[in-house]
Amino acid sequence: MTGQPDLGRADLVSMLAELTAKPVDQVPDRIGSMELAWLVHLVEQRYDRRLELTDDQLAGIRTVDDALAVFRTSLTVPADG
Amino acid sequence: MAEDPVSTDASWVDDILFTGRPTDICLRLPEPVDKATLRRLVGAAQTRLAEAGLRPGGAAALRLPPSLAYVVNLLATWRTGAQAILLDHRLTDHEVDRALRRLDPQVVVAPVRTGGGALRIFVDVTEGVSAYSDRPAGSPHAVIQLSSGSTGPSKVIGRTAADLVGEVHRYTRIDGVALPGERIVLLPSMVHVLGLVGGLLYGLHAGVELCPPERLSGDAILAAVAAQDSPATVLGVPFHIGLLASTVPPGPLPQLRRMTTGGELVPAAVARAFTDRYGVPLGNMYGMTEVGVIGTDLYGAHRPAIAPAPGIRVRESGGELWVSCPANPYVGLADPTRWADGWLHTRDAGAVDPGTGLVTVKGRLDSQVSVGGMKVDLTEVEATVAELPGVTAAVVVWDDGITAYVQTDGSLTEDTLDKQLAERLAGYKRPRTLHLLAQLPRTTTGKLVRSTTVLRDAAS
Repeated sequence: MTGQPDLGRADLVSMLAELTAKPVDQVPDRIGSMELAWLVHLVEQRYDRRLELTDDQLAGIRTVDDALAVFRTSLTVPADG
Repeated sequence: MAEDPVSTDASWVDDILFTGRPTDICLRLPEPVDKATLRRLVGAAQTRLAEAGLRPGGAAALRLPPSLAYVVNLLATWRTGAQAILLDHRLTDHEVDRALRRLDPQVVVAPVRTGGGALRIFVDVTEGVSAYSDRPAGSPHAVIQLSSGSTGPSKVIGRTAADLVGEVHRYTRIDGVALPGERIVLLPSMVHVLGLVGGLLYGLHAGVELCPPERLSGDAILAAVAAQDSPATVLGVPFHIGLLASTVPPGPLPQLRRMTTGGELVPAAVARAFTDRYGVPLGNMYGMTEVGVIGTDLYGAHRPAIAPAPGIRVRESGGELWVSCPANPYVGLADPTRWADGWLHTRDAGAVDPGTGLVTVKGRLDSQVSVGGMKVDLTEVEATVAELPGVTAAVVVWDDGITAYVQTDGSLTEDTLDKQLAERLAGYKRPRTLHLLAQLPRTTTGKLVRSTTVLRDAAS
């Protein structure tokens, strides 16, 4: 993962806290399409690569843990170029 | 034959929207679509709509995601002299069925195939047209939009062709909008008023290219700006400012003229982070589905205030902003608490500076909230939760996010409740936090308590 530490649940929670301006302990576990777009964007910024995700993968994400599992899977795929 | 108030309006599409040269590019998806191509696609769609049963004076319901198919079928509906009912593609079957039963269109246009990758702003759609009823449109409006309603089901808002044309002309008189030959990098959905009129209709009329980014990310928005040499305005909602403020541009972006957002107030720190990074104005717009753009501050000079748009009057009465709106925009029974005598109650608290005329919006006076630029009435969410089997009472509040406190008969789990809501409410309306309680807090007279502090205590 290009020198970055592994993506953890706490990373996603702090990204959501940044979006909603909430303390991390008050970030809801349930996420919608806007929160998901935000997470994809920040994870891509952090790893400086694009996550190749399908509509089906995104549609199956309902919680922070769901997102973490999908992102981790995507990050293990070698980046193009 | 009885006079048909809708069908007489069809010429406005050619007069106002199909202006300019046939070779003028109107959309970049990213393949360029010129006016002649769009006109040809619209003509073919008119034939398909007619074959499915759409007649002048009828209505077509468009249940399409943002796509070329949406643009084409919308314009084709109007060129037919019919009414377009815009259904956000995120609405559930439950919500759509209810709307269709109420509005009774002649045809429904929906995708039979959707392509493209995840997080697309514009998608590839192959649409299908199906017959629904044989009745004429229920009102003389050119467009019908649904807004989350305070009485449970959605409010039905209608706008006439003259009203839409009036708003397009209003945009042409606002200093700071994209000019002919320039581009709009379009982020908001064209099903809702900002993207529909401020993006699509204004762009077609003024000769401004509409360029949706390839997907919803900061990098993709910047790539769309950089894709052509002509000046670009990014049109979005406050969420999109955060995307750009957290993206490091790969190089200079001389094409970027401005970012303009509508939907809700932008915190000063967010605005500063954006202008520090990009060095261009962050404009602000205030509007409503009922009337379109009400006021703007496109140079970020009056933040948080806005100047009324040309031809729009705003006044304050009893702490609430009222806006001029010649005709009742609501379909169905007129509600004098929302519109009367040419004035629309915005339900926004605010003030009008008597010296400058600048308007400051101070927040909602009712239960409506904004989620990523989408208006959600908490009453609709609460009514939907309360109607679910196994739910005995519910309170839905805004606590930095839509939060539901639910009293159940013991038969429900949080997961089953969430799944049932997913069948009934579009994602942006659904509670992010669900609290299941054996007993909701009540006053001594038995009324449900709505204080977030008391509710949080009860759930902890």
